[in-house]
Amino acid sequence: MGFAERMLRIDRRIIFLVIGLCTLLPLLFPVGLPIKISSEVRGVYDYIDKLPEGSVFLLSLDFDPASKPELYPQAVAILRHAFRKNLRVMAMTLWVSGTGLADQIISQTAKEAGKESGKDYVFLGWSPGGSAVILNMGQDLYTTFPADYDGKATKGLPVLAGVQNLRDVAYAVTLAAGNPGVEAWYVFGKDKYKFELGGGCTGVMAPGLYPLLRSGQINGLIGGLRGAAEYETLVGQKGNAVAGMDAQSATHLAIIVLVAICNVFYFAMLRQQRRHERIGS
Amino acid sequence: MELSFATILGAWVATGLTLFILSFLYEDNPVFKLAEHLYVGVSLGYTIVKTFDTVVMTLIVHPILDKGQWSLLIPVGIGTLMLTRYVPKAAWLSRYAFAFIVGVGAGLAIPRTISSFILKQIEDTVRPLLSIAPGEGVTFTWSLLNPASNLNGIIILIGVVSVLFYFFFSVEHSGPGKLVARAGIMFLMISFGAAFGYTVMARMSLLIGRLTDLIEFSDASYGRPTLWLLLLTVATLIILSRRGNAHPPER
Repeated sequence: MGFAERMLRIDRRIIFLVIGLCTLLPLLFPVGLPIKISSEVRGVYDYIDKLPEGSVFLLSLDFDPASKPELYPQAVAILRHAFRKNLRVMAMTLWVSGTGLADQIISQTAKEAGKESGKDYVFLGWSPGGSAVILNMGQDLYTTFPADYDGKATKGLPVLAGVQNLRDVAYAVTLAAGNPGVEAWYVFGKDKYKFELGGGCTGVMAPGLYPLLRSGQINGLIGGLRGAAEYETLVGQKGNAVAGMDAQSATHLAIIVLVAICNVFYFAMLRQQRRHERIGS
Repeated sequence: MELSFATILGAWVATGLTLFILSFLYEDNPVFKLAEHLYVGVSLGYTIVKTFDTVVMTLIVHPILDKGQWSLLIPVGIGTLMLTRYVPKAAWLSRYAFAFIVGVGAGLAIPRTISSFILKQIEDTVRPLLSIAPGEGVTFTWSLLNPASNLNGIIILIGVVSVLFYFFFSVEHSGPGKLVARAGIMFLMISFGAAFGYTVMARMSLLIGRLTDLIEFSDASYGRPTLWLLLLTVATLIILSRRGNAHPPER
């Protein structure tokens, strides 16, 4: 067996080790590579930034702990921005398994910003029905969520003053890890009740959502950890996402190098085989 | 900062389960299976408890008993019909519930989906290849970075036509047709490549998230669970590997 063939049959655990080291070392010793802001992330940021104080901002945290590394930093960055702009924040989730995490995110960020539940923000929690919840909210918010996550009646909460349904929402952002998520919010929400919609999603979902962005169906898209890092940079409070970008870049570089090396060895092996065949014939 | 017992315990549990799951990268082993089963069990248990509390108690029992909203018994009745699937003689009753759900679901979804995805996307795809600017006449924009530029419009036209032609099997892909089909394959490859690139990025992000937590939990304030549990996981793997070698599986 030649060197090229041996390299192509290398134990996969060595590749795991390389990727692991490429992820771990930049996290321990950050370099601080620059982060370029994309137009899709800026779309969400600019819209929130231009909302007048006291506007109703809906944040739907449609993910569970499995997607926490990508969507948690996005949620924290957006909430920090919304609280800084003194928007009335209405948070909720369409994923039952993400209810606890969503509550943790909003409570911690609100505490950090000195905001009060019921007055500055409300966490509505989860309601059954998936996409049907969006339709119900479009008809009447209070029949869909008669009480917030803490059990307080939603009717009469100062933060929801003047809000009857989704038509009263100035801007909605959904941070989604699957279905129901961005598409459901567009189909059953924005398209029917005519409010502006932005999206955030995991990296896996991002390519599938670009057509919605291009056609203007959503006005911005925060894709994966990279999108979160861009938003953290825009907000000016660097967090987990920015810290992870060095590691992200290092692993991508490692993968590119591995792909290139494998191709070199593959063609070398092919050349070796042809030479052997020529000698044999 | 003094950490509560619950926080420290949570850090130890999270670190242990993360390391157990990551041990699969070395080989399939019992500690990985333990963590996997715990994950499925805990997430299912959480979902059941949360659903029961929110749906059964908050949305059904309390409104009926406390506020006398007896009309809620109608959806409860329709939902209960689904459970008749477990009684073979009465299973036919569940069809009414399914008929209702499928009917409402399809009725709501079909028009909205056609409007949102098919019509809106066609509208966005069918763009003019040249623009008419007031005072400037016919213009052509070259920017690849602007999705609405004329150059991008032409690329999309070529992409859509060639991909559709590639999937059109009633005509033999030969001569000029072969060229168009090949172009379609190229566009598909670029699309799959972009999707795979984003998938790799997402998986690496998950790894970064886990490693960030492991680094945080290696702190003395948590009792260094990362260090101790890493040693425990490695020791377990070595013991399991030795036991496996001592008793090779019978063939």
